[in-house]
Amino acid sequence: MKVLATYNIKGGVGKTATAVNLAYLAAAEGARTLVWDLDPQGAASFYFRVKPKVKGGSEALITGRRTLDRAIKGTDYDNLDLIPADFSYRNMDLELGETRKRTRRIDVLLRPMAKDYDYVFLDCPPSISLVSENVFRAANALLVPLIPTTLSMRTFDQLDSFLADNPGRKKQQVLAFFSMVDRRKTLHRELVEQFGPGRSDVLDVQIPAASDIERMGVHRAPLPAFAPRSRSAAAYRELWVEIKARI
Amino acid sequence: MSELHRFALEDGSDLTTLVAGLEQRPCFEREPDRTIERTVYDTFDWRLHAERTVLEHERVIGGRRPRKGDEPVVSWLVWRSIDTGEVLGRLAVDEVPTFAWDLPDAPTLDRLAPILEMRALLPLVTVQIERASLRLVDDEGKTEARVVIERARMQDSDELLAPVVEVVPVRGYPRAADRLTELLAVQVVLRPVESDVVDEALARAGFNPGDYSSKLKLRLDPAGHALDAVVAVLDALFATMLVNEAGTRADVDSEFLHDYRVAVRRTRSVLAMAKGVVPPPLLDELRREFKWLGDITTPTRDFDVYLLTYPQFEASLPESRRADLRPLRSFLVEHQRLAQTELVAALDSPRYATLVDHYRRWRADPRREPAATDPEVVPDVERPAVEFAAARTWSAYRSVVRDGRRITHESPAESLHDLRKDAKKLRYALECFGSLFPADEVGPLVKELKAVQDVLGEFQDCEVQKGSLRGFGGAMVAEGGADSAPALLAMGYLIEHIDERERVARDQFADRFASFDAHHNRARFRRLFGPSSDDQQEDHPHEKRDMKDDT
Repeated sequence: MKVLATYNIKGGVGKTATAVNLAYLAAAEGARTLVWDLDPQGAASFYFRVKPKVKGGSEALITGRRTLDRAIKGTDYDNLDLIPADFSYRNMDLELGETRKRTRRIDVLLRPMAKDYDYVFLDCPPSISLVSENVFRAANALLVPLIPTTLSMRTFDQLDSFLADNPGRKKQQVLAFFSMVDRRKTLHRELVEQFGPGRSDVLDVQIPAASDIERMGVHRAPLPAFAPRSRSAAAYRELWVEIKARI
Repeated sequence: MSELHRFALEDGSDLTTLVAGLEQRPCFEREPDRTIERTVYDTFDWRLHAERTVLEHERVIGGRRPRKGDEPVVSWLVWRSIDTGEVLGRLAVDEVPTFAWDLPDAPTLDRLAPILEMRALLPLVTVQIERASLRLVDDEGKTEARVVIERARMQDSDELLAPVVEVVPVRGYPRAADRLTELLAVQVVLRPVESDVVDEALARAGFNPGDYSSKLKLRLDPAGHALDAVVAVLDALFATMLVNEAGTRADVDSEFLHDYRVAVRRTRSVLAMAKGVVPPPLLDELRREFKWLGDITTPTRDFDVYLLTYPQFEASLPESRRADLRPLRSFLVEHQRLAQTELVAALDSPRYATLVDHYRRWRADPRREPAATDPEVVPDVERPAVEFAAARTWSAYRSVVRDGRRITHESPAESLHDLRKDAKKLRYALECFGSLFPADEVGPLVKELKAVQDVLGEFQDCEVQKGSLRGFGGAMVAEGGADSAPALLAMGYLIEHIDERERVARDQFADRFASFDAHHNRARFRRLFGPSSDDQQEDHPHEKRDMKDDT
């Protein structure tokens, strides 16, 4: 089982779209795939039309009072399951703080899933918190979407130094990629040229800024499910190929 | 995941009305109808069925042009659970390859390949299915359960199969599936059934899933005579040979020949035990002819084994050397092909036909043979089966113990090889006649013996492989491979690696044998098979008594 987390300190960079679309592609290839929507806003749950509700809430899952597998919902797609978001996840930091081995709790909870799933995607809330520290522990790779703007690049450097300053953490890969790239914008082109080539933690594939990705909220479905021949769906497919080769 | 619920349509009822009725309900959404061609695959020994799974190649057909919104791929190999219908994995393939190693690399394959191993995927039956499905959705448009209606016909005969209506639950929504099942259960046109379209199609095509296993399943009658027990075992072994013969001839995969040869070796072992039960002229003929059968099948098997081991050979080399070994692979493929041609010629020969014919006629009426019941010629023929089997097993056991105890770290390879042969004889005696004794007593003995056999087998394989690799090297040079030099170097590495494996096996032997020769096992062997105090040694002079009763 490989655990992949879509993460960025900054919000609105395409984390959820990435988790949902890559998970869909993995499942469509036959891999048993699970998405855990850790963001209390519940965008991934919304895309899969699953109600953002977990019995007993965050507290029940984190304490183990309710095992993770009982919270799993099948999506409309074969091999693709979801642990939905719950508004109580906003308190997850506090609940994690009260457990023993507080930075490893999510890793421990996910371990029994290894026999049932080939890939787990964690869709994380933005910010650096105890939840994200747990995610860093649990994930084999962090998938970091980057919008080619100065501020976005700055937050990536922050993430880099945060991970470097955390000697106790599990060695996981950081795989960043440019997201919402608008080739008409000079700044986007310049930053991609400046920042991308030669860095081993930045992938080659770029996800364009495209209206069909935004339409995921209208269709409430993964992009490759409702627009398989679109340019953006092709970009996600290429991204998935590149990620698989790296993990 | 909850169980699947299936229903069949009562005769003369109309499916269209049922579907239309459901479709009118507010919470149902009809999905696009599909015409699917579905071919069921399994290995000859039903490995997937044994795991309660089924592998199906599904192709969306019917000349329909792909529409916007369709998946780009419409040809899938789908692996699912028989009991829950849960999809365990899918692989995008246009054609189904024969072997797992030719399937596309994916996590699904990591789980499927260890089950299939070297066995060929065989297409069993193909059905054409008209599939309608409806989703039961909640107020967000989320699917909570599905009703799938399949009308299938056999592709070959065009025979229609009974339509099947299935409730497919979605994980995490058990109540929806229950509601749907209740709704269907009250429909007068439906009745609950167990089997699905695949089960029915397999049955129509004459398949009985799980009906072949390479294990010998036999219940002998302890009160029967020795001759009856011997013939019953030989009958079962011959049946195994026959079911594997076509696959052996066609070389579908390596295991047809493997299972065929195991049946031949077991037959030879039983014949060796049948002294005093089967009259000498016939017994000698059968032993000679079955030895021949063993011999003619050996070269192909040897090359099969090297080809199956090749990936391990390659993996034991440094990465940079692996490509060098390819001439060896070509050599093995070519020589396996030649050996297989000779094997088929031998199976087509009059000698084989005569053997099969004689053997069949004798087993049909073994008492008609001249002197078949003459106590002067065959003193054990009327002996109770259980007593006969115990005596032969005891004798085989004592050979193993005697030879095994003599082996030291310095013993030559031949002594280990001889012990391996003894151990095989004992194993076959336990397997062929084990059903005459309590299973819970025989089972643990077989397990202990197997542990010894494994280490002896590894040692012997290493010995043989080293010799063969040297032989292959010579042959590759003689056959004029211009680029064989790097391959020979790589084979030199291999031999060193095999030397190491052999050392490990030899080191393990003493412990394994000591465990087999432990007091509790000796006691159990003696209790089950040992001579009683009034054993009539004189009546059975051919039973070896060349060892003091030191067990």
